[in-house]
Amino acid sequence: MKNLSIDTQLRLLFLWQAALCLAALFGGLWVFFSAPWGALARYGVGLPLLLAGAAAGLSAWDIRQRRHRGRVLAIAVNYLGLLAAGVGALHVLGIFLGIDALAGTFGRGILWLLLALGALFIGGLGERLEYRPQLARRLQQGGRWMAALFGVIFLLRIGTLPALLWLLPRLLQPLPLGLLLAAALFGAALWLASRRPVANALHAGVLSDEAISGFLFLSPNLLGFLLFFAGPLIFSLYISFTDWDAFGTKNFVGLENYQKIIGLDLVALEAPDQAANTVIDVNRFSELARFNLLGRSYLLAATDKLFWISLRNTVQFVLMAVPLSVILALFLANLLNSNLPGMRVFRAMYFLPSVAAVVGIALIWQLLYNASIGYINYGITSAVNALNALFGTSLQDPAIRWLSSVDTALLSLVIMVVWQTVGFNTVLFLAGLTNIPTMLYEAATVDGAGKWAQFWNVTIPMLAPTTFFVVTTTTIQAMQLFDQVFILMNPPEGPNNATLTIVLYLYRSGFQNFRLGYGSAIAWILFALIFGVTLLQFQRQRSSQMEY
Amino acid sequence: MRSSYRLLTWLQNAAVYLVLSLFAGLMLFPFIYMLTTSFKTPADTFRYPPRLLPRDQVFTRVPGYEGELPLYYGVVNGERRPMALVQNSIRVGVFAEPSRLEQTLTVPLDQVQATGATLTVNGEALEVFRVPVEGGTTVEMVKLSQTALGRFVDPQDPTITILQNTRTSTPVERLALHPENYAQVIALRGMDRALTNTTLVTLLVMFGQLATSVLGGYAFARLRFPGRDTLFTVYLGTIMIPFVVLITPLYQIMVAIGWVDHLASLIIPWIFTAYGTFLMRQFFITFPKEIEEAALIDGASRLEILRRIILPASTPAMATLATFTFLYAWNSFFWPLVIINTGNEANHVLTLALNVLRGRAVDSPNLLLAGAAIAILPPMVIFILGQRFFVESATSSGVKG
Repeated sequence: MKNLSIDTQLRLLFLWQAALCLAALFGGLWVFFSAPWGALARYGVGLPLLLAGAAAGLSAWDIRQRRHRGRVLAIAVNYLGLLAAGVGALHVLGIFLGIDALAGTFGRGILWLLLALGALFIGGLGERLEYRPQLARRLQQGGRWMAALFGVIFLLRIGTLPALLWLLPRLLQPLPLGLLLAAALFGAALWLASRRPVANALHAGVLSDEAISGFLFLSPNLLGFLLFFAGPLIFSLYISFTDWDAFGTKNFVGLENYQKIIGLDLVALEAPDQAANTVIDVNRFSELARFNLLGRSYLLAATDKLFWISLRNTVQFVLMAVPLSVILALFLANLLNSNLPGMRVFRAMYFLPSVAAVVGIALIWQLLYNASIGYINYGITSAVNALNALFGTSLQDPAIRWLSSVDTALLSLVIMVVWQTVGFNTVLFLAGLTNIPTMLYEAATVDGAGKWAQFWNVTIPMLAPTTFFVVTTTTIQAMQLFDQVFILMNPPEGPNNATLTIVLYLYRSGFQNFRLGYGSAIAWILFALIFGVTLLQFQRQRSSQMEY
Repeated sequence: MRSSYRLLTWLQNAAVYLVLSLFAGLMLFPFIYMLTTSFKTPADTFRYPPRLLPRDQVFTRVPGYEGELPLYYGVVNGERRPMALVQNSIRVGVFAEPSRLEQTLTVPLDQVQATGATLTVNGEALEVFRVPVEGGTTVEMVKLSQTALGRFVDPQDPTITILQNTRTSTPVERLALHPENYAQVIALRGMDRALTNTTLVTLLVMFGQLATSVLGGYAFARLRFPGRDTLFTVYLGTIMIPFVVLITPLYQIMVAIGWVDHLASLIIPWIFTAYGTFLMRQFFITFPKEIEEAALIDGASRLEILRRIILPASTPAMATLATFTFLYAWNSFFWPLVIINTGNEANHVLTLALNVLRGRAVDSPNLLLAGAAIAILPPMVIFILGQRFFVESATSSGVKG
């Protein structure tokens, strides 16, 4: 193809783009109007096809006119086509589902994989032996060969050969073969369009070349981001306005979900013990709380009582867990921020809980919290006995039923989560502390400020950005509490819904009662709450920064 | 003056170490508890007061008796010594002469003979028995009460026997590990498969995310293209969005592709993240441009520059991102819970296997914690090896940015 004249090359590209345009437009229209697929697939495949068709047409026209935009569009369309055909072929061939089979055999080869990595590492050491070039070369080569050998053994052990044998006949079936062929054609067109003579003939500039490579570099990430993040995000917003229940019904209901979730009603009562059904519509509302204000009794009712309970629990949890975790972390970080030996060891120990799986941690704590044989109650009992023996007091052993009592269920969660997050926050604070210039402390000492005054007037203000970050991330995480509750509590919502959190309620609505629309609306309300809290903290931080 | 100042500093340091050690103990205790309990027998886990270290009762052979006999502490002639339990639940009576009620004698019921007579002592009608006493004679005594005791013999001298309540006796124990708990939990819930699943998923997510993040980060940091800054702002803005917002539509997409219940659903969506791209971009942007420009003039392609110049110098940033991703992928629970069916045990990851195992908490905490240890220890070992990068990943997640 290199021998063809540039005019022929451009004509070829034009013809390919024009053919692509027609094929994509027809394909898109067919998918859109008569494919026997679900709505998601129809929109998801049809719209991109139509867009690609339009782009290909435009590109063909531009190439004819010798405009550079045509080349850019051609590269884009063919690149995307190559990706789509390639990934489609992998999908049709069952490569993605083959990961399951790989997991079955992967364990057999893991030792060899580790050996191969070790050999690579040893080979890499060769680079450091610059003063003995011969040994270095031998080490590098030896390492590479060993790694290759172990790698081949690894591939054999995990069953690559049978997989290939299984794959070969499937390659020859029409659909995979067609997709692979299409991928090859797209690839060829892409190669043609990105060649220098074509670029020169279409007056490509340096900047546009950079832009093209920019998009190419970003493309894996961007496409994945669009497909698995941005797309679902918009889709989620749409779902939250429907009554989708995963059994087929999906009607647009506007704000109904949101109204149902946050609907409240406040009525004044004539007597504090007046029956609820005399003042509220019990078909829609249920009683949430009664309270007295300025001598009058009121009744608060909600359309979705459980949501408000979950909101209350989440807020309570955040208000307890976040300050505890942050203050404790600040305290520990200040202790650790010294030149005494062994501080790194302590830091490592404090960090340990944050690398452990939350699920495993919750299992451990479940046993620690056990009311009869758990260590926590044993510790309390021992402490009470010791106090009684020492001071002759007659304290009662509280015998707390940590997880099954309404009063302590949420507290148990708070203690566990604080234990788990405090080390991470300590490390963050420690990093913030080491960034404070010692000059400031020296100046404060010269001014006669004591340790305590230094802490309040130097450390706290200088640490404000770190504190902002720590508080914000801890709050965001705490508001999404789920894993811990799900494992620690049995049932997860705890006694009398004492530990029903927003995300747990969302999981209940969306994935156990299959009210997808309703669940999505809860998720968006949670997002709005998180956004609001973050914004609030951001504002506060900004205004506090103004003072300094 | 000077020495008192030194004493003060010393005291202060001692106090700091004391507080730090106290907290270290609190942080480590649950893990120590997990490890030791995972090596216990089930009976040992239910003991009260709880003990940290796993222990087994000691068994021994006694000449003249069959099999291995459990050892308990018994008191012989005022001396506490290990005794072997040879017979349990012997029905015994507590007897006393009517004239000397305070001096009681405990004798097995099969060694006494009922006279059939009763005697009223302190307003209570008591049966009278002929009870053998030392010297081969029998004495008539009243039966005050009866109970069941165990017969213990001294393993050193089997002629010495005592009767003692088995339930209140202290067993002779020694430290003993039960590593078979791990084999048992692996067989029970397919934890080995779950472990390989988690390992595979974690590795693929880690490398996939590194690849896309390095490429994307480089594009954002170094290459000029239209819409770059807007796009970057969008990326940044999405970091804060909670995952639960995406869960329903993502589930539907997985249904559409056909990945529900398959490991692919745990891998592919997670290798494209805004966060990783952001992290790599922040690192690349600090990199001097001059070297790159020189290489460009020499005719190197962008990919070559990335591979030969940028990547070798970015190991710390990549290790940081890898650590972060590793922890996230290894420990994730919510998404697997939603997407992998409970019944499909072959595709369970560790966290799901633990969730199923949770039901066993009632009867075998030792197995439960052995399972937890399998899930918790690998990241911990890696943490201890590469501590620097973990701490980096924590701090670079925001404080520096």
